Formats: sequence, structure tokens, C-alpha cells
Amino acid sequence: MKRKNYLTVCLIAGFLLSISVWNAFGRKADYSESERRVLAKFPEVTTERVLSGKFSAEFEEYAVDAFPMRDMWRRVKVYVKTGIFAQKDNNGIYQADGHLSKLEYPMNEKMLEHAIRVFANIKQKYLKDNEVYFVMIPDKNRYLAEENGYLSMDYDAFTEYMKQGMDFANYIEIADLLSLDDYYKTDTHWKQESLVDVAERIASEMGAEFTQEYDVTKLNLPFNGVYVGQSALVCKPDTISYLTNDVLERVEVEGAKAVYDMDKAKGKDAYEMFLSGNQPIITMRDPKNAAGRRLILFRDSFASSIAPLLMSGYSEIVLIDLRYISSDKLGQYVDFENADILFMYSTLMLNNSLGMN
Amino acid sequence: MLFSSISFLYYFLPCVLVLYFLVPRHFKNIILLISSLFFYAWGEPRLVLLMSVTIVIGYVLGILMEKDAKHKRVYLITALISFLGALGYFKYTDFFIDNINTVAGLSIPLLKIALPIGISFYTFQILSYTIDVYRGQVKAQKNVIHLATYITMFPQLIAGPIVRYKDVAIQLESREHSIDNVALGIRRFVFGLSKKILIANVLGEICETFRVSNDKSVLFYWMYAIAFSLHIYFDFSGYSDMAIGLGKAFGFDFMENFNYPYISKSITEFWRRWHISLGNWFRDYVYIPLGGSRVDTARHLFNILVVWMLTGFWHGAAWNFIIWGLYFAILLVIEKTFLLKHLEQSKVLSHVYVLLAVVISFVIFNATSLPQVLTDIGGLFGRGNLPFVSEEALYYLRSYAVIFVLAMFGATPIPKRLASKWKISQYAEPVVLLLLLVVITAYLVDGSFNPFLYFRF
Repeated sequence: MKRKNYLTVCLIAGFLLSISVWNAFGRKADYSESERRVLAKFPEVTTERVLSGKFSAEFEEYAVDAFPMRDMWRRVKVYVKTGIFAQKDNNGIYQADGHLSKLEYPMNEKMLEHAIRVFANIKQKYLKDNEVYFVMIPDKNRYLAEENGYLSMDYDAFTEYMKQGMDFANYIEIADLLSLDDYYKTDTHWKQESLVDVAERIASEMGAEFTQEYDVTKLNLPFNGVYVGQSALVCKPDTISYLTNDVLERVEVEGAKAVYDMDKAKGKDAYEMFLSGNQPIITMRDPKNAAGRRLILFRDSFASSIAPLLMSGYSEIVLIDLRYISSDKLGQYVDFENADILFMYSTLMLNNSLGMN
Repeated sequence: MLFSSISFLYYFLPCVLVLYFLVPRHFKNIILLISSLFFYAWGEPRLVLLMSVTIVIGYVLGILMEKDAKHKRVYLITALISFLGALGYFKYTDFFIDNINTVAGLSIPLLKIALPIGISFYTFQILSYTIDVYRGQVKAQKNVIHLATYITMFPQLIAGPIVRYKDVAIQLESREHSIDNVALGIRRFVFGLSKKILIANVLGEICETFRVSNDKSVLFYWMYAIAFSLHIYFDFSGYSDMAIGLGKAFGFDFMENFNYPYISKSITEFWRRWHISLGNWFRDYVYIPLGGSRVDTARHLFNILVVWMLTGFWHGAAWNFIIWGLYFAILLVIEKTFLLKHLEQSKVLSHVYVLLAVVISFVIFNATSLPQVLTDIGGLFGRGNLPFVSEEALYYLRSYAVIFVLAMFGATPIPKRLASKWKISQYAEPVVLLLLLVVITAYLVDGSFNPFLYFRF
């Protein structure tokens, strides 16, 4: 008994003390690569902040963020939670069919209403005689969740709801052209190399020309999608491929570095290589097709990879991200006259649309 | 500060332990007092003053009661008015204003007074001290450091157990520090922390999910009710385990606060096993002074109703808590009148009755308003044409099945009995404790859901 008690005290006290010393004197990271976020810093100490309780509240966040080997602890938790306690997800992230994904449930009618209101305002304010189209991109849970026993939105009801709300737009269905393989395994987004048929249908519905002639280039870099960090799991990385042809090679881009931004490809989120990630307004122009049609594309990040494929039918495509520019100010920057209008949004964005304005 | 936080486990606790065991014996209470004040100030910097004033009043009045016995009743009344006045002001003012507004059709503005953490616990402790001094059951503490250490001691400061002064009076002045006590304390603390982090918090997630769900069903209501009943047990008993464990490491023996309440065969037995320190407090300072059971039947019933209404009201300034207390009063009266003898005839039925009664009680307890009490209880029985199952309920049932089973199993003495019968190497227990601490740390580093229910009391 005595020996057991000594061992208990030595093990537990030793563990607590060594982690504490490591905590106090170890090097603190400013940024978590895996979680893609800035970590909390040691809070400022002032009498007012201490007395108001602000210091202690911020210190709690700092203590968690600055904990040594943070990713390793997060990994232990997910293995215990899903492996030992057999919980189906960890903070909403789940693994099925070799894919990582995040539960998107339930359909949030308030969010859909908000999105519809924003789009309707744009229609009323800027779009008089324009042809308006609407494409809804299903998130990969549509092809993954229900089949694997996870909560899944009613995507048919979702589509109906949006179609009714967007009755001023021509709806283009693409869900039947997609499957789970068209999405990255570790990320939320779809793969550009799988989208030629999708782009072709959209172009065809809008009466725009389309070419199927693309060369596929595979990036020689690992792509750890957003869910790798969120899940804290060790996963086999994806690879990114991109499509090129003569049109895309001569396209001039304003508002982003290039159609394919190779600096971003080496960055924290390689998917941002498509049109340099999220930007308020991006314009792609084909200098050899100066007098052709114009397309205004209201979009989220999913459109970054498919928009270049629509260039064969347009001389200019303007991409607008309503998360970064208010729809009230668009008139100052965008000419809507004689342009085709396409609202292209993922179900994820529509179901969480509060950021759009 | 929460026990179940990185700041407590890896900053506060190691520093306190090192300082406490390094300083000579007569400085140990000072270290405990300073660290307890820091612990309290971490969450309530300004309200340390309120607690300090409470201690000073208790200290002075205690000494006066002994020195000026002729007027000790006056000192006791002063103490009661001071302590209960502060508790009433901070905890119940807005409740009374709100009800006066409703009844009289007035619109007196609410004061929106912040509830000082742990005020219900430390007020009851200082009350027990002054009443015991008044009764001559304990001697007044002449050393203000000792008294302040008793009231503020961080292991039990904010969520009990409600330690009685007479139980620790000797230990405040002289107590044994040994490796065995520290080991026992660590063991109890780690098990308590595991109950809180690995079971209570996880069950709490289901309750949160249920509240925001638009896909409710009868099954989901029952899952919520059972999850909350287990959540509150593991949360509160886990905290009590941590408090008792820390107390043990510092050389104190705090009373047990829970004794497997869910194995009870009657509500009378349940309340002998649930929040024992609170039940004892009300018994000794309210029920018995009112006459207890040695009075006529009508008066006895009145005493029971008063005690249980106060017990409910102690938990929170809202009608659902009062109803919760009265609900138990009614059950206890029914049991005393005729039911107890029938319950003795069937173990199975008596267990079913207790579990059902307790689960419904916690649905009342956790409601945020009276209409919600009705909605939640109605939901258990399908009111409002609820479907029996929903997709969401089935998903969470599958996802939390292991936790539910572990929690139900862990709420009985079976694991303890098995562990004592299971002869394994003496080295296994320390290793298990270390593994638990590793997993707990992992949950804390990645965790976001970490409430603690009894803080609000």
C-alpha cells in the first residue's frame, strides 16, 4: 500500500509539475497551422482588466491555446472520443468512406431566408433586364452523411425552398452530375478536374460557348484540407490538380494574382490557389474576346475553381463575394448592364448565410 | 476558477501544492487562505470584499457571543440578518421585484445584481458556525486566519460540500500531512475530475443539443431527461469528489456529499444519499428548530413543506426551483403517510418509482420557466402530437450510447465493488490515474463545453 501511494504521488505530481514547468518556460506558438488560426496571446495586465475579470477570462483562453503539444492532446481526445466512447463525431467532424466532413444539420430556414433576401435586394436594385441564373452546389454531406448513418439535411427540401425563394432566377440543377469522388477527401471543396461536365451544363443552360479541351496538371504538393486541422487526425493528404488551355493561359485577372496562384498553392490552404482565394471582387478578362458576353457571378469559395472553366463562353467574368463587400455598394464597382447574372452558392454557405450582406 | 480547467490544473494547483508543502506547519493555513482568496478573486475580483466582510462579521459576532453571553441572542440575530440579508439581496432581490411587478401590475426596474459565486455555500457555512457558537456546540474561533481559512478554503468554497465548522475545527489548528493522505486525495480528485470531464460534460452536450433541436420526439425528451439527471449527478458528485480529494491532500476530512443516490428505493432514501451536506444543514438548522417530527401531524406537514420549499429556493431564485422543492415535499409526505411500507414489498418497482420521480424532478429543475416545465414534462409523454422517434434522437442515441451505459453503470456501487474484488498489481492504480489525467487534459485542451452547474447556486 505504501509503495502504491508513493507511486501515485510521484506519477501524478510529477506529471502535473513537469507540464506546468513546460507551460511556464516552453516556447509558445503564435499560430496554429493545423487549426488555421491565430492563438491567444498572454493577456495584458492592468488593474482595470484584472478587476473586471477580463484578464482571467482571456488567460483561460491563453492557457488552452499555449498548452504544449496542443495538436497531440487534441488527437488523443479524438481517438478516445471516437475509439473508446464510440461517439460518431468530434466537434461535428466525422470520418466516413475515407473522407473527413463536418455535420451540416439541420436546414436553417432563417439563414436561407436571409440569403434569399440579400439576393432579392440585388435583383431589385441592379438587375432590370438581365438574365438571372441560380446554381446550388451540394456540400459533400449530401453524398456521404446519410449513407454512413450521420445526420443529413433534406437536400430536396433545401433545393425546393431555395428555388421558390429565388423565383426570379433560372435554376440550374447540378447535383445529379456530382458524386463523393468529386470532392477532396480532407477538405470541404470540390475538385476542379471533376467539374468539366458541371461547367458544361451551366454554360449550356446560360447559352454560352464551352470547350472540353483542357490539360490536367497535378501539383506535386500535399494538400491538407481544412478538416485535417479541425479533426486533429492524421490523414493521407489530398493532391490538387488544375485545368489549363489556351483561353485560361491568356486570361488577365484583376483583384487576384492569377487564375492559378502558385504562391497560394504552397501556402496554408492550397485550395486558395484558385483565383487567390476569397476576394471581394475579381475580374477575369479574355483579351482576344474583348467584345463578347459578360458574366457577373455572385459566389462563395466553391466558385473559385469552376469560374475559370466558364471563360470560354465569356469575354469577362466578374466574381463578387458578398461576405467581403456589401451589396449596397456594388453599383460603384460593377457594371451590370447586358451581363448574364449567376448566383452560385454552396449549401454550406446558404445554410450559414449571416456573413453575406 | 474551475477545477476542470487548464489554468487550475497546470498553473494554480502545482504552485499551491509546492508552496503548501514547503512552508512550515504554522504557515500552512496562511498559504491556504491566500491561495483561496486568489482562487475566488480569479472569477470574482471585486466580490472578495463581500466574502471578507462576511468572515469578519462572523468572527467578531462569534467572539462576542462567548464574551457577552447575556446578549448572545442579539448577536445571533445580527448574524442572521447580516448573512441572510446579503444572500437575499444578491440572490433574490430581482425575483421578488419581478413577482411584485407581476402581481401588482407595477414596473419596478430589476436591479440585475450579479450573483457572487458560491455565496449560497459560504453563507451557509458561516451561518452554521455562528449558530453552533450560539448553541455552545463549538468554541468561537479566536484566530481570524483559521476562521477565514475554513470559510474560504478553495476546495469547497464555491460548490461545497457545506463543511461544518465543528467537523474541521480541530484540523484547522492541527492536522496530519502524510504521503498516504496525499495519495488518497489525488486518487479521489482524479476520479472526480474524470466524472466531470468524461461523463458530465459529455452528457451536458446532449442536453444543449436537445434544447436547440427542431427535431424533438418523445425519445429525445427522455434522452434529455435521463442525460440531465446523470449529468447533474456526475457534475456535482464529481465536484464533491474533487473537493474531498483536495481537502484530504491538505489534511482535512470533509464529509461525504453523495452516496449512490440513484440506487435508492424511496425518495426518503434518495435524500439521505443526495447532497448530504445540504440535507443535514436544513435538518439541523431549520427542520429540527421548527419542531421536526415531534409535533402534531399538521405541524409536521408544515415543517416538511417549509424545509423543502427553502431547499428548492436555495438552489435558485425562480419558481421552478420552489416547485422542485415542493414536489419532493409532497413525495416525502406521501411516503411517510403510506407509500414506504408498500415500496418495501418490491425492489424493482421501488427503484423504477424513484428513478422516474427523480428524472421528472430534474426536468422541473432544469427548466428556465414555468411554461417550459409543462412543455418538457408534456414532451416526455408525447404531448403535442410529438413523434415517438426522430432522426436526430436516433443519431445522438447511437453516438452517446456508450456514455449513457457507462454513466448508468458508474452511478451504482458496482464498479467500486468490482475494483475491490479484482486483484491486480498495486502498480495498476497509479497508472490508471495517470492515464485518466492524460485523457482529461486532452479533453480540456480540445474542449469548449465545460459548464459547472452548481456555480449558480
